[in-house]
Amino acid sequence: MACAIVLVAVIAGAPFVLNEGFLRLATECLLLLTMAQMWNLLAGYAGLVSLGHQVFIAFGAYALFLTSGWLEVTPIWVLPVAPLVAGAVAAVIAFPLFRLRDAYFSIAMWVFAEIIGAFTMKSQEVGGTSGMPLATSKLIDFDWFEPTMFWLAGGLTLVTIAALYKMMTSSFGLGLMSVRDNDLAAMSVGVDVRHNRFIAFVLSAAGCGLAGALSFMGNLFIAPLAAFDVNWSVYMMFIVIIGGIGTLEGPILGVIIFFGLRELMTGPLGLSGGWYLVGLGIIAVVVMIVAPRGIWPALRDRLGVRLLDVHRAAPRPAGAAILPTVSERVTG
Amino acid sequence: MIWVETLINGALLGGLYALLGIGLALVFGVMRVVNIAHGEFMVLSAFCAVLLSNLFPQVSPLLMLIPVIALSFAVGWLYQAAIVNRVVTSPDPLSPLLLTFGVSVILRNVMVELFGADVRSLQVGELSRASLEIAGLNIGIMPLLTLVLAALLFMALQLVLRHTEFGRIVRATADRRDIVRLSGVKPDRVYNYVMGLSLALGAIGGVLLAVRSSFTPFSGAERLLIAFEVVVLGGLGSFWGALLGGIALGMAQLIGLKIDPNAGLLYAHLLFFIMLLIRPSGLVSSRA
Repeated sequence: MACAIVLVAVIAGAPFVLNEGFLRLATECLLLLTMAQMWNLLAGYAGLVSLGHQVFIAFGAYALFLTSGWLEVTPIWVLPVAPLVAGAVAAVIAFPLFRLRDAYFSIAMWVFAEIIGAFTMKSQEVGGTSGMPLATSKLIDFDWFEPTMFWLAGGLTLVTIAALYKMMTSSFGLGLMSVRDNDLAAMSVGVDVRHNRFIAFVLSAAGCGLAGALSFMGNLFIAPLAAFDVNWSVYMMFIVIIGGIGTLEGPILGVIIFFGLRELMTGPLGLSGGWYLVGLGIIAVVVMIVAPRGIWPALRDRLGVRLLDVHRAAPRPAGAAILPTVSERVTG
Repeated sequence: MIWVETLINGALLGGLYALLGIGLALVFGVMRVVNIAHGEFMVLSAFCAVLLSNLFPQVSPLLMLIPVIALSFAVGWLYQAAIVNRVVTSPDPLSPLLLTFGVSVILRNVMVELFGADVRSLQVGELSRASLEIAGLNIGIMPLLTLVLAALLFMALQLVLRHTEFGRIVRATADRRDIVRLSGVKPDRVYNYVMGLSLALGAIGGVLLAVRSSFTPFSGAERLLIAFEVVVLGGLGSFWGALLGGIALGMAQLIGLKIDPNAGLLYAHLLFFIMLLIRPSGLVSSRA
């Protein structure tokens, strides 16, 4: 609890200390962390790897740009539209996609993103290939724009992590994790696999929609090539894999490595963005081979640290006095 | 008449698409791994062919297929031995998927940095423009040769898998990886050969596609999606299914391009997605 108050205070105060460039970087960092947590919710907890998650980012962002333009209100007030639209799209396409398993699901998601991207480039109403600016950007108070963006991103990140922590320690989260670990065993104790996966998918899409809307709102401009870029999925995936899939702390560590490496390679080392992605890819592949669950779980086990752990100890065997016969049978 | 020509050209293009898919299907059938980097390896083989034909301008680019195929086989062997074999037995089915995706990102960006993001193509001179006229229909020689080559390769692959010692070992390994060890087969080594074969087949498709249309280092994703759609549409059971799937996609793409010249692969993707909606159970069939 004290930790949460400190974090809120840090996020509230940061804009008064940091300069504008650093604030932008921090905002980007936080938004990507939220997206990675959402991707992790789906891949790490529900066992569904999506290679087309950029489609939800794009749906959220386009929904924000269009509604804000129609209603002519400051984009911040129509932000709730973004997760609603992205979540609704996810709920609809879940029906055909959930018939597919593993790699089929992953690539079918990717094909879906490609189809929507191609249609977006053809629709002149949303700006076609060249994209469109944020129509209501003149309503924005630019003195407070960067700090507001940062507060929104920070608030979203904190709420996301807190909600995921709460969810993963609830019965829903336990059901989800049991499906990931052994779906047959989970079903046999009455966990509704499809239902759990559906909720995780819709929540994941909604979260990505909101983070995507914030991300493009910060740019004041949206174009299909940027919104439907498969690199969104690449970033989310690398952050989660490097940090630790299926943990809440993993993506935080992943984001730190992601941005640390980027600032190091494109800054002091003067390398291009391409080599940065190569470096990140090599780290991801090495981590996958050496520590398949990611860096955080390996560190945690070695150092014995627990931060946002949702792991539960197995219940102790019932005392001999209560269940003598069963206990005897088990031990004997 | 123009529509008949479009359909025929679509079918010929389909032969090429089937070639893209068959390597992916082979790896999936034998080791249950979808090699996401398959598209990038195809683009890499196309770059190799372009480099070789720049080095030896007097040799026909199509003859460059021979060294490129050999090279791709070696690369596939090493790729499997060094990387994929380490996760292929992982209890988590997502590991190979994530790993090969990581490899695809590495390859794509290495190609961007080494060769630049410019649009390239492989020039074969007269042959690419030569065409036959049959009953008033214009049919390109190159696409026709490609389809014939695809059919021949499929037949050869089927013969090898059905009737040779190697084929029996591969099929046995696909069925029971743990049991074949009792007969002295090393599954990992079989996988190495299969990945080599898969990338060699991919190289043929990649180079021939580079003759037909231009490519950039970013074309790998497009090629992977086509290959995947071919495999899923055709069903994993048979190679001839893949040929049919490829032909359906080729026709959908060319008909789409007739209706809307800058549609790209949209109509092929749409066909795939609609098939997914109406025939979900028939799509994922038994192993190869």
